[in-house]
Amino acid sequence: MGEELKVIVFALANEEYGIEVDKVRTVERMAPITRVPKTPPFVKGVMNLRGVVVPVIDLKGRFGLKETEPTEQSRIIVVAVNDMEVGFIVDAANDVTDIDEDAIDQPPEVVGGIKAKYLRGIAKLDDRLLIMLNLSEVLNKNEIVQLEQMEA
Amino acid sequence: MDMNAYLSMFIDEAGDHLQALNDNMLQLENTPEDLTIVQAIFRSAHTLKGMAATMGFEDLASLTHEMENVLDLVRNSKLRMDSFIFDTLFKSLDALESMVQDITAGGAGSADVSAIVASLQAIVKGDYNAGGGPAAGGAAEGAAGAGDSGLQLDQYQVSVLQQSMDSGHQVYHITVTVREDCVLKAARAYMVFDLLERHGEVVKSEPSVQDLEQEKFDRTFTVFAISSLSQEELQQQIAAISEIEEAAVTKLDPESLQILARPNVPSAPAAPSAPPAAGAPEAAREAKRQAAAAKAQTAAAGGALPRTIRVDIDRLDTLMNLFSELLIDRVRLEQLASEIRKPELTDTVEHLTRVSGDLQNIVLKLRMVPVESVFNRFPRMIRDLAKSLGKKVELVITGAETELDRTVIDEIGDPLVHLLRNSIDHGLESVSERIAAGKPETGTVHLRAYHSGNHVFIEVEDDGRGINREKVKNKAIASGILTAEEAGKMSDDEIAMLIFAPGFSTADTISDISGRGVGLDVVRSKIASLGGNVTIRTSEGKGTKFSVELPLTLSIISAMLVKLGSEKYAIPLSSIAETAIIRQEQIRLIHGNRMIEYRGAVIPVLSLSRILESPDYDESAEEETEVIIVRKGDKWAAVMVDEFIGQSEIVLKTLGSYLPNTDIVAGATILGDGQVALIIDPNGLIK
Repeated sequence: MGEELKVIVFALANEEYGIEVDKVRTVERMAPITRVPKTPPFVKGVMNLRGVVVPVIDLKGRFGLKETEPTEQSRIIVVAVNDMEVGFIVDAANDVTDIDEDAIDQPPEVVGGIKAKYLRGIAKLDDRLLIMLNLSEVLNKNEIVQLEQMEA
Repeated sequence: MDMNAYLSMFIDEAGDHLQALNDNMLQLENTPEDLTIVQAIFRSAHTLKGMAATMGFEDLASLTHEMENVLDLVRNSKLRMDSFIFDTLFKSLDALESMVQDITAGGAGSADVSAIVASLQAIVKGDYNAGGGPAAGGAAEGAAGAGDSGLQLDQYQVSVLQQSMDSGHQVYHITVTVREDCVLKAARAYMVFDLLERHGEVVKSEPSVQDLEQEKFDRTFTVFAISSLSQEELQQQIAAISEIEEAAVTKLDPESLQILARPNVPSAPAAPSAPPAAGAPEAAREAKRQAAAAKAQTAAAGGALPRTIRVDIDRLDTLMNLFSELLIDRVRLEQLASEIRKPELTDTVEHLTRVSGDLQNIVLKLRMVPVESVFNRFPRMIRDLAKSLGKKVELVITGAETELDRTVIDEIGDPLVHLLRNSIDHGLESVSERIAAGKPETGTVHLRAYHSGNHVFIEVEDDGRGINREKVKNKAIASGILTAEEAGKMSDDEIAMLIFAPGFSTADTISDISGRGVGLDVVRSKIASLGGNVTIRTSEGKGTKFSVELPLTLSIISAMLVKLGSEKYAIPLSSIAETAIIRQEQIRLIHGNRMIEYRGAVIPVLSLSRILESPDYDESAEEETEVIIVRKGDKWAAVMVDEFIGQSEIVLKTLGSYLPNTDIVAGATILGDGQVALIIDPNGLIK
């Protein structure tokens, strides 16, 4: 048995994903977001999280998946990694579960259209598969710069 | 008790003392005969030594001790300062500084200082030692007990006791012995201290209070205390504390105090009431002089020193954050009150507004630090620099008391170092050139700070050769920064600004100090990142003035809130010259650019909605449109917006490190309705 890992389970398109609980600051309902000009399209803007201004990105847009309008189920998961606080818009987030570190397998090259470098692995959980995210790669700022340059 | 608790205090205070040492040494170099300065230096060194020894930094303590030996000879007029001694002492200070830095970085503060120690010892014993034999002997004796201050009082303590006596208080020397079977020795000692502090003040104790609290004493401890009680009362009250075997209270008179004050006289702790009579008349005179000097020093500082405490900067930041939250709620309450229109509510909210306005002033003031804390390291730097370049330089500092936000202070040091180095290396001519040009051989560099509106200006001005327009121009053309045609149209000051371009250097030879083309562009970008600006005024042959403009504070600003369709933005009031309404037909197309006439000049019109890619507002559909006139230096522009909302105090927040601020967006703020509004930096609009 490896170490137990507590993860927050959230949905994106038709897949289930996981983020370690200790990296998540809070899960919020959709809130007003202020647009920030001259940013990549997946950056939705900034929100007021109890007095702190937090950037919000659409995780589907970040992974190059098709973005959809937010629904009643949509949530903003605010994560804190490498001194950065960022909110992720996800389709739903309603579960916390324990997984065994040993049950995380290396990810295949592409999962659900998401490049492997964004993934930490695939966790098998009874009959479900959880895609674990590599947060520091998802929040890689160099990539934003590259994206901006590509657009320009 | 943990020593770590004292470490940060030690580091802070050691920094203060080193600074004082540096300042006084520089002063002494100008007036080597002034023994009061030597006294001040000696006091700082002595305190530093004691602190270092208490904290267990032996190398630091022993080096300061050697310095003290030299200084002791100097202040007793047994040794005259010369340049070798100055250099050695300055080297010692550098060594001390690096040790303290090592300690700050978590090291043990140890360093190999044998070379410096050898020089210092040579000064004490060597050729300089004529007639200083006995004193040197005494000093060496003291070396064995570096840090073990015995029952000596330092000058500060003496002056405190002296002043208390002068003002009619009683000063006692008390020896307390606890009973042999005493279980809680520390607690008993505490009770004695508590008693003494209720009726006066404890000036000095042996062992130290820390040691007493840790029970690091045998059965006896002695204290010097000022008290309002009479000798008998005091004796009775101390003896009344349980488990105290004996309390010997001796009233001190000025004479015995002075003899106790004589440093390096090993006094017998067992018989303090009958102090050693060694070298009585001379010692007494000596001590009197010291005490007088100490007193003069205190008096010069305005009698009582300002009462201050050191606060962790993190706590201030937290206070600031909490206050910003309060400000947001206040704005929200104001909105609610104006909607509900109940007089009681309005009154209360108005009161809250006034109180929080005062609170805001205080909170902002808490973060203000005099620029002195940055400036005070420059005299020493200039001295070394001038020496290594063989130039004569006088640094004149004015306005060191000008206050700036702590965050700005922390960042402004390096840019100023660059500017000063630049002035001395490039600006000032060599002595021979200056004489040839009919200037005084000592060059003057002015470092000024002053307030102006919401800004603080810091100027570095030299009376050197000025910036050679042709040289800069040719260099700029050669390195492709601009064309010859463009250069022809530029004013002298504009040409001078070119030296801030990346990779630019006009120095013919690359020196240690500057001239590698790195530096000035870094200076400009650093100052820009602080929300400031730097300009140059130069006149060839007469000198150059760098003027750095900095915002007073970075956290709360007054701003104009504007609307663009459904979006709200904030524009700092400081960059708005005025607001106006213009009609579409006033906008003229000149050379493909949209311009309007404004107070006799023609200035460009910018569309904020287009720059910000506004999704639901386009001013071209409007007949009349609101504009904000912004200025950056001598450039002006009219920025079209949808609607003015009004002025407001806003709290500057970053967009978070994931989204770095861009040239146009300087940050964000939270409005009264809880929504985030972006702060537009108009300087970014004017290119």
